[in-house]
Amino acid sequence: MRRALLLLFMALALTPAVGQDKRPGMGPPRPIAPPASTLAAPIDVPTIEADVSTRSLEVTTGFTGHEIIVFGAIDNSQAPQDHAGFYDVVVVVEGTPFPVVVRKKSDVAGVWINTSAITFASVPSYYAIASTKPIEEIAGPSVLERHAIGFRHIKMTPSPASRGAFKDYELAAFRAAVIRLKKEQNLYVIEPKDGVTFTGRSLFRSTIALPANVPVGPLVARTYLFRNGEVISAHIARVTLQRAGVERVVHNFAFIYPMSYGLIAVLIAVLAGLLASAYFRRQPG
Amino acid sequence: MNIYLPIAEMSVNAALFLSMGCAVGFLSGLFGVGGGFLLTPLLIFMGVPSAVAVGTGSMQILASSVSGAIAQYRRKNVDVKMGAVLVAGGIVGSVIGVSLMKILRQMGQFDLFVSLSYVTFLGAVGALMMIESIGTLRRTGGHVARKTGQHSWVHGLPFKMRFHRSKLYISVIPPAMIGAFVGFMAAIMGVGGGFVMVPAMIYLLRVPTSVVIGTSLFQIVFVMAVTTLLQAMQNKAVDVVLALLLIVGGVIGAQFGASAGDRLKGEQLRFMLAALVLLVCLRIGWDLMTKPAEIYSIGPVLGGGF
Repeated sequence: MRRALLLLFMALALTPAVGQDKRPGMGPPRPIAPPASTLAAPIDVPTIEADVSTRSLEVTTGFTGHEIIVFGAIDNSQAPQDHAGFYDVVVVVEGTPFPVVVRKKSDVAGVWINTSAITFASVPSYYAIASTKPIEEIAGPSVLERHAIGFRHIKMTPSPASRGAFKDYELAAFRAAVIRLKKEQNLYVIEPKDGVTFTGRSLFRSTIALPANVPVGPLVARTYLFRNGEVISAHIARVTLQRAGVERVVHNFAFIYPMSYGLIAVLIAVLAGLLASAYFRRQPG
Repeated sequence: MNIYLPIAEMSVNAALFLSMGCAVGFLSGLFGVGGGFLLTPLLIFMGVPSAVAVGTGSMQILASSVSGAIAQYRRKNVDVKMGAVLVAGGIVGSVIGVSLMKILRQMGQFDLFVSLSYVTFLGAVGALMMIESIGTLRRTGGHVARKTGQHSWVHGLPFKMRFHRSKLYISVIPPAMIGAFVGFMAAIMGVGGGFVMVPAMIYLLRVPTSVVIGTSLFQIVFVMAVTTLLQAMQNKAVDVVLALLLIVGGVIGAQFGASAGDRLKGEQLRFMLAALVLLVCLRIGWDLMTKPAEIYSIGPVLGGGF
């Protein structure tokens, strides 16, 4: 009986919530600044429209990452037939910005110790970029900077307290470190060549792989249409990424009712210890 | 099979963490130690945030010592009065440790503090054990007679209390101090602290060896329960899912370890344990002293700011 109970207990403890149900209805994607020119030139202006395959994602105990597809079309495409590369499309998927502390170690009497730190008030938790060709070939730095496209142009401002305490080159080193570390964690990603592919004249799609460690929070998928190095249309779609299932229950419980969570943790530990020893005492030998 | 840890916020291979718990359980069963000093560094090495490794470690230690403590209590190997003094001290130490941990995390120096504590304690305890076990191995069974009734400075302190089961009449200050120190270590390092408490009770307090193990387990259970609670409340650092993986693995491993330990001699075991402790110490020390591949690190901004 006790043995059966223990097995059941172990099974319960180890079974992750399987499957991630996708709930529809996060509101439709909306275009960034509906082109004012629609009134003036309703037919000729090419505009981009896009959407994401999954608008709502859930992080459950079994979450191992998820692939989202950003797809869309160019309206009023003026590209001549069989002319690949007439337009360029860039897709940026950005996670919720969070404040981040960056620390730098240095050698203090033979021991490597964190000696300086800077706080960036907001750093995107996740940043993936996909494009028809490398972004440097699509547009110049000023255009990319304006639209925060590319790692170099991610908006990252030091918090007021940290401002002025560092020289420009130190600030640049801290910035570079954030990008490097985020890249190592697979949180800042450049989708490989042909990140965005065209099907015919106006349909395009790109696959963005969200890793298992993607921080929870809303994601924004920005899609840009480029022609001759200038953005001629843009579009925003949103994806929610939230905790669900056992994962959500445990996490919320731990943060909202820390005392009850702690008491239950103690109880679980004591019960698990007692159950285990009872189980093994019955074993022969 | 991957499993997402809700507090550590990472996806880990459940089988890998189960076998890690199993391996540490095997060693702790083999040597008769708690194994916290192996498990916590191992978790940090695997990428679990150090605060979560330490907090979850205390929950795992609680689970693995509770049945032992009850067994010792049934065999009347617990000096409850002495245990209560150790627990009272331990709770004070734990409160201080958990609060200090919160401050150190905000300052970004917690990892350093954990590493330095490990190097210091493991180095000292490992070296002492190594010297002693080499001595006993050389003498091959030769016994050193310890003089009884010897008095030291410990016996001159005020607030004396009679501990019947330990057959002692000593001041409550030394056991309370030992308890506090162990509680502090438990909170900061994610260990049970038996490896400090047992020698301290034997050599400083001269508690009879028959009640030392039971009484220290008694202290560990209560102090670990309080530490788990405090870690959950103050640092949100207890991951129940991770702890369960480690507990299940650890319990299984400990069974095999205990039966393997029966086949080895006590002196050999102590020598191996000393070597293991020193290895862990050297490994952590090495990481502190060598230039890291990446001198920058990023982390979330914790309440209170910098």
